[in-house]
Amino acid sequence: MSFIQVEDLKKQFIVRKKREKGSLFREKEIREALRGVSFEIERGELVGYIGPNGAGKSTTVKILSGILTPDGGKALVGGQVPWKNRRDYVQHIGVVFGQRMQLWWDVPILDSYNLLKDIYRIPEDRYKSRLSELTDALGLGELLRTPLRQLSLGQRMRAELCGSLLHQPDILFLDEPTIGLDAVSKLDLRDFLLWENREHKTTILLTTHDMEDIAALCQRVMVLGHGSKLYDGNLADLLARFDKTRTVEISYDDPAAALKLPPTVQVEKNGDGFRLSYKPEEFPTAKLLSLLQMAGPIREMTVQPQNIDHLIAAMYEEMDL
Amino acid sequence: MKPYLSIFKLRLRLETQYRGAVLGGLICQMFFGLILIAVYRALYASKPQAIPFANVATYVWFQQAFFRMLLSTDDDLMEKIKTGGIAYDLCRPLHLYSFYYFRILAMKLMGSLLRAVPMLLIALLLPEGWGMSLPASPAAFLASIVSLLLGAACVTASENITMAATMRTLDPRGFRTIFNVLLMLLTGNILPLTLYPDSWQPVLRLLPYAQMLDAPARLYTGEYPLAEVPGIFLLQIAWIIALVALGCFLWNQNQKRLVLQGG
Repeated sequence: MSFIQVEDLKKQFIVRKKREKGSLFREKEIREALRGVSFEIERGELVGYIGPNGAGKSTTVKILSGILTPDGGKALVGGQVPWKNRRDYVQHIGVVFGQRMQLWWDVPILDSYNLLKDIYRIPEDRYKSRLSELTDALGLGELLRTPLRQLSLGQRMRAELCGSLLHQPDILFLDEPTIGLDAVSKLDLRDFLLWENREHKTTILLTTHDMEDIAALCQRVMVLGHGSKLYDGNLADLLARFDKTRTVEISYDDPAAALKLPPTVQVEKNGDGFRLSYKPEEFPTAKLLSLLQMAGPIREMTVQPQNIDHLIAAMYEEMDL
Repeated sequence: MKPYLSIFKLRLRLETQYRGAVLGGLICQMFFGLILIAVYRALYASKPQAIPFANVATYVWFQQAFFRMLLSTDDDLMEKIKTGGIAYDLCRPLHLYSFYYFRILAMKLMGSLLRAVPMLLIALLLPEGWGMSLPASPAAFLASIVSLLLGAACVTASENITMAATMRTLDPRGFRTIFNVLLMLLTGNILPLTLYPDSWQPVLRLLPYAQMLDAPARLYTGEYPLAEVPGIFLLQIAWIIALVALGCFLWNQNQKRLVLQGG
């Protein structure tokens, strides 16, 4: 039996619209956040959960962390129903909401951790070893006595992550953990998640808009749109379906060199040179290269696969999201 | 009990950090106290009341000293409810009502203690007719301290009801405004309850508001004789139980119908 089993999960929200002129009451509108989502996740998997804003990702996370009750469907996590026996269930899960704070603003982060220790009733010796392990892995050692308000955003996110993992949950839900972080902080955070997943077999479900996060962390990705699951599988396979365009940047010794290319290749002037985009299946790369060489001596040239964000945008477009 | 004790201690310590606020509150409350006493002096000059003036002055200082206990909200908690930061508390193995109860109680106790001790000392040193009197007797003093603690438990319970209501409305202003006006009038903060008409007294003193600061103040001045102490304590405890029960019920309802706003 899978560690997480979700079957036909449904959730609606009632949104009150602005009152129309001439009518006494505001109209209600039912928005379907989840229209029957099903999936299974095995213990120790690291799964990415993506989709445009409002697709229902956070709703899924909130249901699985026991905060929201669904309107229909089943969910079992480690054999327990998240929204029943809530207090017992949450002992086994960790959650990070990237846009919210769990640590206390005005006190040293160690004090917040001590409070969490008491909240989860973690035995003293287990707490000590876990805390030192996590602070080493996250590089928090020197920051423990610093109040949260004095930390940078990247440090703060690492501190929050540590707080969510102190009680060593079997599963970690991450809701946009890298939002607003700089490149170094993002890389550190990813390394840490991989480490935690490897060392403790912690199952991780990650929602994000940052495709680099997914590419670096997850073998498996689920795409959610309009409250339904649209794809579930390997990231590489998903990308291959949409990764059809190549971009070439090229410049010539002679700035006046003229290119003669068929209309299937799009040409844009780019500084001294040109930016071309084409689809290898429509116009073979070998043919393009020979045409490019005929235009004169090439000074510099790069070929790039499409940016991963563009791929996802193309995918959302094709799936009509 | 561990999580609840832990939040209580953390919040006590946090409250001691805001020393500037303590000084500001102290000056503000001293000022209010002096103004109110000046007003009641004028009242007594034109028409003396049945209550000795020294008791009125003592009552006013008592109210001002513990003003912070009465009228202060846990703004961080309010903010968490409004912005959805409360999501984290909801996925903890906690009895939420108790967790917040101890959080608010610690804030009210430490916040008012830090202000009350220096203020009462100053008020005791003020000249007669302006200052605070000594307690009616050592026993009355002890009774008023116990009663004050019960009062704090009572205020905290009613504050937690406001929090539960804020979970519904997501904006505390309307609810809190009504609540605070009632609080100011019916706790005796503006006009000592002792100066309300005699015919009102039987009702006023039974209300939950009178359990917060009025009962301890009257015990201190000796207006409530020691023989009445058990009855007063019982009434206070009854209200604490009633308000806690209501608050627990509201929080449980909240947790059942939870919808967290926003992604």
